[in-house]
Amino acid sequence: MPLLEIKNLTHFFGGLRAVHNFNTRIEPGEIRGLIGPNGAGKTTVFNLTTGVYKPTEGQIIFDGQDITGKPPHQIGKLGISRTYQNLRLWGNLTALDNVKIAFYGRIRYGLLGAFFGINGRYEEERRIDREARELMALLGIEGYADMVVSGLPYGIQRKVEMARALATRPKLLLLDEPTAGMTPAEMEETMEFVLYIRDTFNLTIWLIEHKMRFVMGLCHWIQVLNFGEIIAEGTPQEVQNNPEVIRAYLGTAVT
Amino acid sequence: MSQVAQQLFNALQWGSFYALIALGYSMVYSILMLFNFAHGDVFMVATYIGYFVATVLLGLSLSGVLPLSGVAIFVLTLLLTMFLASFIGIAVERVAYRPLRDAPRASAAITGLMVGIFLETLVLWRLGASRRNFPTLIEVSTYQIGPVQVTNLKVLTIVLAVVLMILLHLFIKKTKVGMAMRAMSYDYAVIPLMGVPLDLIIAFTFALGSALAGAAGVLFGMAYPVLDPYMGVLIGWKAFVAAILGGRGSILGAVAGGFLLGFIEILVAAVLTSTMRDLVAYSIVLLILTFRPYGLFGEEHSVRLRL
Amino acid sequence: MQRSFELPSGLRRWYARLRAAYQDVPISAWLVGMLAAVLVEALIGRDLAYILGLGNLPSFFGLSLIFKKWQLIPNILVFIAVVYVIPALGATYLVRKLMARLSGRGLTWLDRLPSWGYILFNLAFVYVILHFWASASDYRLLVLRLLGVNIILTLSLNLVNGWMGEFSVSVAGFMAVGAYVASVLMVWGFVDDNVFGPAVFPASWAPFAFPIALIIAGAVTAVTALAVAIPSFRTRGDYLAIITLAYMFIVKSSFENIDFLGGARGFMGQPKVAESLLVVFVWTVLAVWIMYNYVTSTLGKATSAVRDNEPAAEMMTVNTRKVKMVAFLTHAFWSGVAGGLYAHIVGYINPSSFGLVKSAEILGMLYLGGLNSVTGSILGTVLFTMLSEILRPLKLIKWMVIPVILIIVMIKRPRGLLGFQEIRLPFLERRAAKADEEVSHAPAGD
Repeated sequence: MPLLEIKNLTHFFGGLRAVHNFNTRIEPGEIRGLIGPNGAGKTTVFNLTTGVYKPTEGQIIFDGQDITGKPPHQIGKLGISRTYQNLRLWGNLTALDNVKIAFYGRIRYGLLGAFFGINGRYEEERRIDREARELMALLGIEGYADMVVSGLPYGIQRKVEMARALATRPKLLLLDEPTAGMTPAEMEETMEFVLYIRDTFNLTIWLIEHKMRFVMGLCHWIQVLNFGEIIAEGTPQEVQNNPEVIRAYLGTAVT
Repeated sequence: MSQVAQQLFNALQWGSFYALIALGYSMVYSILMLFNFAHGDVFMVATYIGYFVATVLLGLSLSGVLPLSGVAIFVLTLLLTMFLASFIGIAVERVAYRPLRDAPRASAAITGLMVGIFLETLVLWRLGASRRNFPTLIEVSTYQIGPVQVTNLKVLTIVLAVVLMILLHLFIKKTKVGMAMRAMSYDYAVIPLMGVPLDLIIAFTFALGSALAGAAGVLFGMAYPVLDPYMGVLIGWKAFVAAILGGRGSILGAVAGGFLLGFIEILVAAVLTSTMRDLVAYSIVLLILTFRPYGLFGEEHSVRLRL
Repeated sequence: MQRSFELPSGLRRWYARLRAAYQDVPISAWLVGMLAAVLVEALIGRDLAYILGLGNLPSFFGLSLIFKKWQLIPNILVFIAVVYVIPALGATYLVRKLMARLSGRGLTWLDRLPSWGYILFNLAFVYVILHFWASASDYRLLVLRLLGVNIILTLSLNLVNGWMGEFSVSVAGFMAVGAYVASVLMVWGFVDDNVFGPAVFPASWAPFAFPIALIIAGAVTAVTALAVAIPSFRTRGDYLAIITLAYMFIVKSSFENIDFLGGARGFMGQPKVAESLLVVFVWTVLAVWIMYNYVTSTLGKATSAVRDNEPAAEMMTVNTRKVKMVAFLTHAFWSGVAGGLYAHIVGYINPSSFGLVKSAEILGMLYLGGLNSVTGSILGTVLFTMLSEILRPLKLIKWMVIPVILIIVMIKRPRGLLGFQEIRLPFLERRAAKADEEVSHAPAGD
């Protein structure tokens, strides 16, 4: 059974068709790539999957459950998490708090616990604190835990965002251009890193990326989007040699 | 029927005040994304300025030093007050907003509020002890047009308000400074890159809005001669609501919102009692904003959050 | 803090010795010292004030006298030294010596208290000090009780304007609803009144019913706040500012039109259930404790996540609608409770006491103290109140001085004195802060 199945996904912004008849099946443990020129609708597909927009048509089934039209915080709870192309951290909070807040969906002490310190609030807070720090240690950023996140170096911020995404305990992790703004050396490192977190946290990964080396080196299966439609899909080798893809990329700037 | 026509006419006059003041709120908002909470008090100070200018001119005229007709005194008063009021606006911007341009917007809102309180207290302290009446510059004469009783003052108010709005419109559309203002309301960040003197344009916007408030002050003083240091709080905040109702940062919206609020208030007072005026008026405002959160002419892009 | 002036070397040595002597004095010793100062004031304050020509016992350490008669400044300094500084430092020193001698015996029970016991003990101590200080005059008592009310208001507003990052101005409106609801309940229940008829319950029950009335008042306020919350959470930005402004005008105008509540004339005859400092103190501590608990819990911190980036918060499983609703309704609830307290402290309310001026005052306290800070809200309220009382002799001019001070603070520190940071209160935190109680954020640079 696929972990994520999307059927006939179509979305309009006003009269503009952003995504048309998008289909996909992602198996557990897979690393899937979604590529395409700028403005092809890749991020829109992610936004539709995570519930930011309600799709005009189509169905999204995650882990055997229809999640079409559910709000993001419920989808997040079910096990989809993501990072953003431009970092979207909570800038005034510490790195640790950024990670801890992602535990929100699993907090059991409720409002009464929050207000009155009952319902095992303190034990649970200690547990969240410990787990968040452990998670940060796994990503090698435990040293930054108590620093305000907006003051951290870009690379660390990226890892904090990753830690935050992992703190919701996802089964499926969506990475929107995880190597944006990185040097080739850092990109190599990130490739290792993606494999590391997939194995450590038993993840399925779906990523958007422009850097071909990155996509070709990591993904098992790649789909190519242009003007909101899939124009090609296959293994990295197949996609690389597909004339449609080359045309789509040569028509616009290759990044 | 005649009642309705009469009330509509009164509402036009009442709405003129709101619209003129609301313009000041909207212009500043469109450029700085910031409510100038001191604007109501700028209006109040302007009314006092108008009072002094008018009194002095009238005194000069009566003592024969500068013999002028009432109308001439009015015109002079209006122009001088607008001119002087614009400096109040510039001063407010200088003290309350410029030092905080890169600070959280809420902090600037607080300094604006504080400048307002300062101005109220200053006026109350220096001028509040004795009751002051705006001098009569133009004798009130009443005409009967069909079923509607009109006074020359009310007609003057409405006509002048409309003329000023048209002038403002032309100014923003046709002049270089107006163009810069429009560009800035479109994108604040890139303007300095294009060689437009940011500080100057912002100061000018405050001056323009305050000059309009000055005109409103003179007209208001002539219609309701008893001056009060808290009139800025009473009238100014309503004009603020009118600006919102019309749409944040929209010039057309400020005018429409001003007249709309004027109509609502006058009609509520006419149909129900005047004590119910605020209650019903603001409930209607709340209702309109529930369905049109950005006001009548506002657009979503104009409420970018810069906290 | 940079010291801009240099003390003469003799004084400097003295100062260094003084600092060394008081460097790590435990907080309990300080509390005893403060108590000593208050007791000395009660014993000799009045006579000394008379001898020094200060007239009656000065209400605020003689500071407001400076603005009445500046010639008295030396006398005031003598008064402060003899009545407050010397007894406080002396008693602190003695207690510290005593504790050092007793360590290992006697006083160690303080260290063995559980965390909450320690906090309660110290709070009780603080209350005793305040109680003695307030018992010197009705004026002090009134100021302290209103201070408590304002702390609740400021902190609850901070939830929305600080943690949630919106701009609410309806504090006065919420206060009004709470004040009227609580007053009506109490008058209906315990006072023979023309409108509400004879008292329903025996008057001796009133102090026990008062908390219930306050909670109902808060709850009703929160329900009316829904009218604002539901439409306003669809958009962000300035919308809440406007809609809360409209709410405030509507509330004020409503009460002006309700004749059986006295209309614009106001409503009086509230039973005297908030006469003592203790009632207000307990409510203030309760409110601060509950709101502090919330904002330091991960559940509550999510409010800041919504402020900093709402879509990301929503994706990270935060139910953003609920979070915003909770923050806003908590703000409304506690403002309502504070309004109820206020009504019973003053014993008279009318719609015009809940206007823009009131909201502006609370906003001033909030932004003076700083956003996102519990201690900041308390500090801001205390400073603002003290300023307001000390400058009272200036009469009208006070309202020119205070705005100027606030403008300067805003320009120098746009995030307020303690924006986005907390000061540690040693009498509430004995041991190193546990992880779940950790609240100190370094000031964030943006």
